[in-house]
Amino acid sequence: MLKRVLAIITILIIGYWLAEGLANVPFGQDKMLVGQYYLNHVKEQTGAVNAVTAVVVNYRGFDTLGEVTVLFIASTGVAALLWRRKRERTAKTPGSVVLTTGSKLLFPFIVLFGMYIFIHGHLTPGGGFPGGATIATAFLLMYLAFIVYEIPHKGFETTEGLAGMSYVLVGLIGLAIGGYFLFDWIWQTWHWGTSNLGRLFSGGFIPVIYTIIGIKVGTELSGIIDNMLKEEVKE
Amino acid sequence: MSQVASLLIALPLISAFFVPVLKRIKQSLIMPYLILITLIQTGIAGWVFYEVYTTGKPIIIMAGGWRPPVGINLYIGPFAALFVLIIAVVSFITAVFSVKAVKVEPIDKYAMLFLLLMLGATGMIATGDIFNLFVFMEITAITAYALTAYNKTGEAAEASMKYIVLGGIGSSFFLIGVALLYGATGTLNMAHLAELSTSINPIVAQVGLALVIFGLAVEAELFPLNAWAPDAYQAAPHPITVMFSAFVVKAGLYAMARILYLLQKANGWSSVLRLVLIMATLTVIFAELSALRQRDVKRMIAYSSIGQIGLIALAFSLGTQAGVDAGVFHMLNHAIVKAMMFLGVGYVGITLGGTELEKFEGLGKRMPLTALALTIGAVSTVGVPLFNVFWSKFRIIVATLQAGFIWPAILVLFASMVEAVYYFRLVHTMWFSGSGERVKEGWIVIFLLLLAVLVVAIGIYPTPAWEIVKRAGSDIFAVANYVKNVPLMGVIQ
Repeated sequence: MLKRVLAIITILIIGYWLAEGLANVPFGQDKMLVGQYYLNHVKEQTGAVNAVTAVVVNYRGFDTLGEVTVLFIASTGVAALLWRRKRERTAKTPGSVVLTTGSKLLFPFIVLFGMYIFIHGHLTPGGGFPGGATIATAFLLMYLAFIVYEIPHKGFETTEGLAGMSYVLVGLIGLAIGGYFLFDWIWQTWHWGTSNLGRLFSGGFIPVIYTIIGIKVGTELSGIIDNMLKEEVKE
Repeated sequence: MSQVASLLIALPLISAFFVPVLKRIKQSLIMPYLILITLIQTGIAGWVFYEVYTTGKPIIIMAGGWRPPVGINLYIGPFAALFVLIIAVVSFITAVFSVKAVKVEPIDKYAMLFLLLMLGATGMIATGDIFNLFVFMEITAITAYALTAYNKTGEAAEASMKYIVLGGIGSSFFLIGVALLYGATGTLNMAHLAELSTSINPIVAQVGLALVIFGLAVEAELFPLNAWAPDAYQAAPHPITVMFSAFVVKAGLYAMARILYLLQKANGWSSVLRLVLIMATLTVIFAELSALRQRDVKRMIAYSSIGQIGLIALAFSLGTQAGVDAGVFHMLNHAIVKAMMFLGVGYVGITLGGTELEKFEGLGKRMPLTALALTIGAVSTVGVPLFNVFWSKFRIIVATLQAGFIWPAILVLFASMVEAVYYFRLVHTMWFSGSGERVKEGWIVIFLLLLAVLVVAIGIYPTPAWEIVKRAGSDIFAVANYVKNVPLMGVIQ
């Protein structure tokens, strides 16, 4: 009881302190120093209509490379910690016919929609991470509906690695062509798609990178699901 | 040409992503591959170090070709160049050590996490953007969680759990702090932030800075938030412990110092500085007193390492040039000494099967060269003249007294005496008790002895190291210079 009261009091003090800090942040006033620059220049500098993806992939692409790495670490970490010599799925109750048939039917549609999301990252809300997560949802559905379903591991792991490598490679090509790591060579050197603003084949390297991220996130999250669903089998 | 230095980030990344592909080709190639990559990284870091110290100009890497603050820049000044080199060298040594020390499967996952831990620390030290710092901090922290639990024992899982919970809370605090600072200034670039720091409302600056410091204190192992550290050091694989102590903590400490000094013009800065001073002093006292009653040598040195970290934080919290220089010097010395100590202890651990104090009885007869390196490390850490740590400890205490803080100096000196007690107990156990047959020592001893030679060399002739460190220190302290070196676009309209 005493512990709980003390905890509540401490949290209230911290909350008040944070509120005090927040109250002095000038919200609503024009503090958009860098933000305004992005809004003014996003179209001619990156070719993206979606300003968020332009910031995330192009202006601050370094952060996204880092975030992709964080997810890679999460999936590698889970795999390393749950590693056993022999593991299998031990689910016992099969799903009903309605569930299995429904999942089978839905699976391609979900994957298709996921791909739609990451391919159109520079035009519509979304991008690589939501698209990849949607694809992983399709695999989760298969895992939940079937008691024996398994993703093809060898292929998935290799794809994951290759997708990550291609992201860095796109950056390194930028270093070779434009002189800067992660430089958008498709838009700024080749001027490819400059007359096509707002259509699918525009946006410089944003769709390319988002496709890579989508594939990578999709395989990674599916791998995490796979690792967590399997249990050790004693021989 | 200087943009090529972005390979420091790109190389470990692309190599880590290549490991799953390499695993398909041939599993036994993974460890040699790891050594090769860390060796190349050392080469690049050496080139960057040479470049920065001969031209005297920092290397500014602009990711994507965007000028800051629109894009993200990496700032490899004297400090970053020095520590990126240390990170690469220590990673190379631990990669070589890993071949012998890590037998637990899956090796391919270990190699990936190892490379990414190196990448995360490099990024934290090199970045010039406060949100990018957060991303690299997450990379470092999450690899550290996974590697702590890598041995899959109950003990390791518990240690990792503690770390993950504390680290998670810490990074959310850090993120809230970054959000507040962004809300107050409208920029995330460190140089731009420093320029705008005078205009921040004092309360926002205080709350934001305190949150950032608290968030980083988990990584930097300062007092109320370092409960995870001894457990993690003890339970992690031996090579990983070396990396934790030699550079993961340092990256956190550096980030803390960098952000603190960036905002030194902000109102309310000195009270945040005082907060760090109190935390640092308490860290030293608690860690050294806890080390005194440890029976496990690895855990004992882990506590000792935390105590030394507290000393560095103390030096950084003084707010003077002398203090920062001394702190950086201690960072360098501590990286060398503790890398050597943890390598030695880890080597004993895998040769004799454990790191309890009893295993070290008669080590002087059984493994004389390892025992010699451990002795040099122990004597040096205590701060005996003619060894490197003496100079940095001495400078820290002098700087503390100059800044007018009598009590912290006395407390820290007292902690050094405590340190002497348990280190000399260890030395006594190794040389004057027990007996045993000679055990054959492997080539890892070469690295131990090289590090030991470095310890003594800096101890006898500290001037060259001190010159390098002074430049690295002014990199942190002289913010005006830092801002001048970053090609900001000016205030954008």
